[in-house]
Amino acid sequence: MNRRLFYSFSLALLSLFLPMTAAADPELPPWTEKAITKDVDIETLAKSGLDPIPVLQPLGEELFSAKFTTLDGAGRPDATGAIVPTKVRRRGHQSFQRLAGPDANACSSCHNEPVIGGSGAFTANVFVSEGFESADFDTLDPQFSNERNTNAIQGAGLIELLAREMTADLRSQRKELLAKARASGQTETANLETKGVSFGSLSAHADGTLDVSKLDGIDDDLTLRPFSQKGVFTSLRQFTVNAMNAHHGVQPNERFGPQWTGSNDFDDDGFQSEMSQGQISALVAWQATLPAPTIKQDLPDIWQDAANNGETLFSDVGCASCHVPSLPLDSLIFHDPGPFDTAGTLRQSDIETPLALDLGTLDWVKDLPRDDQGRVLVPLYGDLKRHKIADAANETLGNELLAQRFVARDVFITSELWGIGSTAPYGHRGDLTTLNEVILAHGGEATASQKAYSSLDETGRQSIIAFLRSLEIAQ
Amino acid sequence: MNSLVLGISCLALATTIINPAFANGEDQTVSLAPTPKFVEEAKLAGIDHTYDGAWEYFVGGGTAIFDCNGDRRPDLFLAGGKNPAKLYRNISPTGGALKFDIAETSLTGKSLSKVLGAYPLDFDNDDILDLAILRLGQNLLLKGNGDCTFDMANRALGFDGGREWTTAFSATFEEGSDYPTLAFGNYVDRSKPGSPWGTCHDNFLFRPEVSSDGKVSYPDPTGLSPGYCSLSILFTDWNRSGEPSLRVSNDRHYYRGGEEQLWALPPGKPPRAYRKTDGWQHLKIWGMGIASIDLDVDGYPEYALTSMGDTKIQKLDDDADETVPVYQDIAFDLGLTAHRPYAGDDLKPSTGWHSEFQDVNNDGLWDLFIAKGNVEAMPDFAAFDPDNLLLGQWDGKFTEVGKTAGISLDKRGRGAGLADFNSDGLLDLVVVNRAKPVSLFRNVGQGSAEDPKPIGNWLAVDVRQPGLPNSRAVGAKISVKTGNRTVVKDIQVGAGHASGQLGFFHFGVGVAERANVRIKWPDGDWSHSYRVFANSHVIIDRGSEAARFWYPE
Repeated sequence: MNRRLFYSFSLALLSLFLPMTAAADPELPPWTEKAITKDVDIETLAKSGLDPIPVLQPLGEELFSAKFTTLDGAGRPDATGAIVPTKVRRRGHQSFQRLAGPDANACSSCHNEPVIGGSGAFTANVFVSEGFESADFDTLDPQFSNERNTNAIQGAGLIELLAREMTADLRSQRKELLAKARASGQTETANLETKGVSFGSLSAHADGTLDVSKLDGIDDDLTLRPFSQKGVFTSLRQFTVNAMNAHHGVQPNERFGPQWTGSNDFDDDGFQSEMSQGQISALVAWQATLPAPTIKQDLPDIWQDAANNGETLFSDVGCASCHVPSLPLDSLIFHDPGPFDTAGTLRQSDIETPLALDLGTLDWVKDLPRDDQGRVLVPLYGDLKRHKIADAANETLGNELLAQRFVARDVFITSELWGIGSTAPYGHRGDLTTLNEVILAHGGEATASQKAYSSLDETGRQSIIAFLRSLEIAQ
Repeated sequence: MNSLVLGISCLALATTIINPAFANGEDQTVSLAPTPKFVEEAKLAGIDHTYDGAWEYFVGGGTAIFDCNGDRRPDLFLAGGKNPAKLYRNISPTGGALKFDIAETSLTGKSLSKVLGAYPLDFDNDDILDLAILRLGQNLLLKGNGDCTFDMANRALGFDGGREWTTAFSATFEEGSDYPTLAFGNYVDRSKPGSPWGTCHDNFLFRPEVSSDGKVSYPDPTGLSPGYCSLSILFTDWNRSGEPSLRVSNDRHYYRGGEEQLWALPPGKPPRAYRKTDGWQHLKIWGMGIASIDLDVDGYPEYALTSMGDTKIQKLDDDADETVPVYQDIAFDLGLTAHRPYAGDDLKPSTGWHSEFQDVNNDGLWDLFIAKGNVEAMPDFAAFDPDNLLLGQWDGKFTEVGKTAGISLDKRGRGAGLADFNSDGLLDLVVVNRAKPVSLFRNVGQGSAEDPKPIGNWLAVDVRQPGLPNSRAVGAKISVKTGNRTVVKDIQVGAGHASGQLGFFHFGVGVAERANVRIKWPDGDWSHSYRVFANSHVIIDRGSEAARFWYPE
């Protein structure tokens, strides 16, 4: 039985015992300007035994591309874009505003290069701040916001799975260390490493207290947060909930609903319950199943030869120490909600059964290489770790004034380079137009590699560019 | 479109069904804030204890919640009245069912008899918690040894425990003092002619004296006269002056011409009661228990005063200033009067005792617990009088959820305390009942006893001053900021009804994943901002660069 036929058969079976048969909303005319017109009951879906991917993917894509309207609850006159529900001090005069937001009609308004879900040009930059309480008075001044370029989402499902496994592994190491310290009655120290990436060291005292001062590149709670330029968001779900409010003023119930705000209409736009957990799940599923970037095929010989040489040089000069070519992934089951989200993002404890998306059923995942243990090697060219990337000698990438979510202004998560050939411009502000420029902008912990790159001859540098340009998001 | 994808009008219908409170406007009976479930499991947890005795024990019945053995888990000292007091050691598995065993205190039977209440504090600055024991007769200062054993310290400290019927306690570190000032609140003087009517005993203030060789003693108590049969006292910085005053809540049942009291305590000078000419308003209640929290974070704490009938919530009036303590009662406005039982058929006024502001659902809003119960068999007051759990709502009001939360037992509550006994981030509840076994409720959040589930995010903060006097920073203020919102809690010893606690201070932080914590130290200095992650236990040592994390796992 082929896949499509299997799903048709399964859905037909399901409809026999599920009370839900509504396929379209009869109250809406065909010309409706509402963009959010469908929902999914994820509890029922999870229990049904059906593959949730084909159920959620189409709705997720529809929502990702939808230009939300006031008929959907778009706009947030009384709420800020802050992650924690926050009221504005005074209402702004305009419903859209590029600084305080809402700043986008659709997700795809920015995530659209070279395809939907991809990155954005400088035109599509956003302003990151939790301090906007007054759109009229908070300004572009960098003391109030950081300007960021739009990231590509392709392959994000695998990234989140890697992060989850690394978080679980690091926490397991912490648990063992605490038990060891309690048993020995003395301070114990361990180097933390997972999937070959070091995250510094941790010391546990006999009384169960921890010294986290030597941790490196990860938050003190040992949650690896892989998303955003900064690496401060745990999951696609958490980011999606944030983004729906911040960019569109569409407020997901799981964070802005009455149990956390006392209101079904926190932004006071007259529209209640603007986005359900099922709709967020659909958006998450679509993003999590977006095919990972690939390597350009059928390159002309001159490019292929340069790229081959560049890949070697990329490693030789030290780029690959952070831009690790691949990390091994044990499981391809993407649970939604995930295991490490906290209140305000739907948690596994909030529902009976989480959805289980088997990414291994996707053709593009089947094509990924595996190691001798059968683990998928995710070719991300990253280490999911944060690094100091600027210093006084090279402050190009240290151009922000605000720390974000406890992460210093000059520290960012290693950009995954898969797809980099399709995602110009570069740098977290998107203000570097060439790969050469962004490589030369590396300072801080990347200074040695940058200098090694700089000391290559022109052919060597061009080879690395050729290699990077071969990493693409397929169209 | 497949059958699992629904049209949006179906979603709207579902929303209407889920939230009836919105469909018909305001419904005061429905809490929009999530209601936690409490499961009573005292017996299963190994706690078998009853506070009982003759009329002297109609009041009292306190508990001290503190870590007696250095494992950072809160242990339980329970007053017994005519029964011996007991100390239970907390052996609850993290996140699991509550479990306690009896700790050997090394104290004689006499020390543990006739106990009405207890408060933990560190009176000798060794960073090990000690106990002040309130008794019918000699009060005790017990020096903790760190292993749940104690040494009687009365003689070493030159402390005369007196012979009064002691029902209240508070302690503070006055400016310039390395040792705590102790206040004991007393009830009826049974030896006076005409007792019990109009024969309230004076309260006493013990200020430390340090000899030239550095030895501390408490030789000469100062009488806080007149006493009006106090059942709860609290050192509190009501006017942001940095100088604590002593608030005294009194039982009008026995006093004549008495009232609620507030004493100024200028350092090195005798205490002085605020009078009408100072703006202090005459208020007569059956004062049973004080709870204090700064609800509107204006620096001036609000006070809940339990009584027979309605609970008072006092907030500084517009006419007040930093020298004029004029208060208005905002209990009705906030839905906090809790003046009669919310369950059962008995509509008579209820009788409130211990009260405590905490966040039981971790939504970032303060909730108020009130222990309730008829004094004994007073016919004009409700016989079935369940404890209150009033959940803070986002509109600033409170909603009663005692019944749905599962705490509405037919017992006469007295002292109580909310603490996270199994370190799962949800505050559990212990209630000392008169003449019935102690109730111990495990907070299972949105789940069940078998499958507890979290509600909001939380933070537990322990604050220390290593190497300094006042190791537990009594008088400090903890400020927790999430987003643009700040909540504060004072570190205090006192209040409640004969019950106190020290250890981790609990904060619900709702949907925030991170928080900035600052400490206003007892001397008024502010710490820098400590950046901590939610859902964790953190320890903030004065002068430290970063907070320490504690993991119970």
